[in-house]
Amino acid sequence: MSNQRSAPVFLNLFRIRFPVAAVTSIAHRISGVLLFLFFPFLVWLLDLSLQGPDGYARALALLQPLWVRLGLALIGWSLLHHLLSGIRFLLIDIDVGVSLGAARRTAWAVNIIGVLLGLACLGWLL
Amino acid sequence: MSRHVHGQRPWLLQRLSGVYLAVYLVYVIASSMQHGAYSHQEWHAWLGHPVMGIATAGFILAMLVHGWVGMRDVILDYVHPLGIRLLLLVLIGLALITCGLWALRVLVLAAG
Repeated sequence: MSNQRSAPVFLNLFRIRFPVAAVTSIAHRISGVLLFLFFPFLVWLLDLSLQGPDGYARALALLQPLWVRLGLALIGWSLLHHLLSGIRFLLIDIDVGVSLGAARRTAWAVNIIGVLLGLACLGWLL
Repeated sequence: MSRHVHGQRPWLLQRLSGVYLAVYLVYVIASSMQHGAYSHQEWHAWLGHPVMGIATAGFILAMLVHGWVGMRDVILDYVHPLGIRLLLLVLIGLALITCGLWALRVLVLAAG
């Protein structure tokens, strides 16, 4: 009991060490699940958009509401983060960027560029 | 397949489908950014073109494989009760197959 009490507890968020590559990895999973959930809507939009000029106009109209465009920006981030972190994992598979320093740098790059491109999507959609 | 290599095939399929999806998406994003807004006719002609239709059918197929392996990994990692796990896997599989057949039908109709 006394041993457990004396174990260090780091509840200070500024002192918890959460490796940046773990953020890249969990975001890869979350974005992957979001893309899976979006897939039926993508097929639906594809179907509608190819049903003559009327269907195409209706598909475009479906993308107009603000909440839809916010959702699409989230899907945009998901796609771009998933793509970038996927390329990073593929490179690591073939032994590129495996060293701790390189892996940290590429993880930061993927996370930051993913968010910047996601914001660019948001700006383009609004 | 021996027990030692169990899990190697999904691992490989995930990477092969991932590479295809990446190449297709980079091409589609780049070409549509260059093109700007599509009219209905241009859009239909683009997807109705045999090369783009086949490439897109490949995208759908890669999406089914990649989505299945990825979602399966997530479910196996986070959902442990066997019943719920099986139920989710069946639902995910059915959803993917339904979407895949639906998308292929749309592509065939667009090409015809």
